[in-house]
Amino acid sequence: MKPALKFIFAALVVGGFATVPSWGSAVLVQFGINALILATLAQSWNIIGGYTGYPSFGNSVFYGLGGYGVAIALVQYQLPSAVGLILGVVLAVLFAFLLGLPVLRLRGHYFAIATLGLTEVMTAIVSNLDIAGRNVGLILPLAKGDTLFLELSLALLVVTTLAVAWISRSRFGFGLIAIRENEVAAAVMGVNTTLYKILAFALCAVFSALAGGIHAYWITYLDPGSAFDVSLNVRMIIMAVFGGPGTIFGPALGAFALAAISEILASKITSLASIFFGVVIVVAIIFMPRGVADLAQNFRRFGWRYFQENIKAHRV
Amino acid sequence: MDNILEVRNLTKRFHGLLAIDRVTFALERNQILGLIGPNGAGKTTLVSLVSGTLQPTEGSVLFEGKPIHRLAGFRRALLGIARTFQVMRPFPGLTVLDNVAVGALFGAAGSTRQLAAAREDANRWLHFVGLDHRVRQRADALGGPDRKRLELAKALAMRPKLLLLDEVMAGLNPVEIEEVITVIKKVRDQGISIVVIEHVMKAIQSLSDRLLVLHHGEKIAEGKPQEVLRNDQVIAAYLGSKRR
Ligand SMILES: Nc1ncnc2c1ncn2[C@@H]1O[C@H](COP(=O)(O)OP(=O)(O)O)[C@@H](O)[C@H]1O
Ligand SMILES: [Mg+2]
Repeated sequence: MKPALKFIFAALVVGGFATVPSWGSAVLVQFGINALILATLAQSWNIIGGYTGYPSFGNSVFYGLGGYGVAIALVQYQLPSAVGLILGVVLAVLFAFLLGLPVLRLRGHYFAIATLGLTEVMTAIVSNLDIAGRNVGLILPLAKGDTLFLELSLALLVVTTLAVAWISRSRFGFGLIAIRENEVAAAVMGVNTTLYKILAFALCAVFSALAGGIHAYWITYLDPGSAFDVSLNVRMIIMAVFGGPGTIFGPALGAFALAAISEILASKITSLASIFFGVVIVVAIIFMPRGVADLAQNFRRFGWRYFQENIKAHRV
Repeated sequence: MDNILEVRNLTKRFHGLLAIDRVTFALERNQILGLIGPNGAGKTTLVSLVSGTLQPTEGSVLFEGKPIHRLAGFRRALLGIARTFQVMRPFPGLTVLDNVAVGALFGAAGSTRQLAAAREDANRWLHFVGLDHRVRQRADALGGPDRKRLELAKALAMRPKLLLLDEVMAGLNPVEIEEVITVIKKVRDQGISIVVIEHVMKAIQSLSDRLLVLHHGEKIAEGKPQEVLRNDQVIAAYLGSKRR
């Protein structure tokens, strides 16, 4: 597809989402909110994982801090929710700067494991903080209807995607891509690699924290286990990789597709749903390892041979 | 005398191994210095110390009179130092054009910050090194000789004042070597100072204003090419070991 066509298509999808509350059931609206939040998370992960090439398992920390920002502001200080969202973003960005500095010196598996450790550490810390309700968690005041949350999460996904679109054609984004492709060469060519990696980490902290804040406000409940959930981080990665990491629309597309598949499976064949979900992912990774975005771009050119070529190119 | 680069008592130790041992030399502006020596002599290490890919154990590097050996690699790039890699380091997933555009976007201060302008610039450099027929291909689809040309175009797009070329002719055929020699001479005529590492004697002789010979990390000779290549120690260390 031509870029302009893609944006028109994206605008139609956004318009479609916005009308759901006027005709869809409550369940559909709730599914929509969840899918939009997951898409935002996959899209934020795309910045550090897809564009910069650093497979972060620490994004659920940003998400959790965003949630706690809202929860603490509302419950402990009776502040407006907007202040809580800002508090969550500030916490997450601080965290990205403080821990990004040591952790972003590591590469590949080491980086993944170190960020995984961050999630565990955060769970332990927050479980012992009175202000965060320790391991019991916090119950937030009930908020207005689902329509508001659908609009909020839709707006957030649009902003996040616009940020990614800007990254993909800016000097900053080219610096990130150069880091992903070869970090030593990037530095020699004049990319301030340390700064760029931290900025990318902080940028994904902003969007993940906003997603976490909106979600906590919507669900009206938060505890350390659900706030800093590693399996949520795994889902972000699967969705982004399924859709096409390092592309503008892939991660959001991947999130919608996988959210829909798992929703359908869960309603039809409850107990086997997670197994089927796993099978879908394995099959996708084998036949289209570069994601849905790449499939959409190349399937017309190669036809069914596209799958054959992928299997050939990626087997050991 | 106007030295763009001065290296003083430079030493690099890898654990036990002395890869560079108290090397001192200077490069005059707008000159070409040929750096030769047998494999493992420390040539690549010396380039890495100047470009900031490695930090020295001791000694200093001065660029336009200012010490730079404590600066991060990217800062040296901004000052106007560019290098190519002997073991080539393209951005494999990017197109050839965008590989070079990164050089135009970053590189020495004063380069363009707009992607469209950077791509235009990249196109010009790819034409300059004779790669214009490959611009739309992914870098990992290039063969060896074209990858060498790409390394060169990426470095040139940075608009450096000092260019460090680490074996850009290795693996090229005689015709291709002639082409690269022409390109390097044209680059020098634009006012860029150059350090070339090369094993092809004919190429290094025709290019270099001066030669520096490394052996086991030490400088064993320096001077005019004809004189250096007649030096007995050089013949024994370098040419001798090559012929055997
Ligand atoms: N990163 C490194 N770690 C340890 N030893 C190294 C490293 N890089 C180079 N060396 C060693 O330093 C010596 C000089 O290597 P190098 O500079 O690559 O030589 P040349 O480019 O002249 O062939 C060699 O003995 C090499 O094995
Ligand atoms: Mg070498």
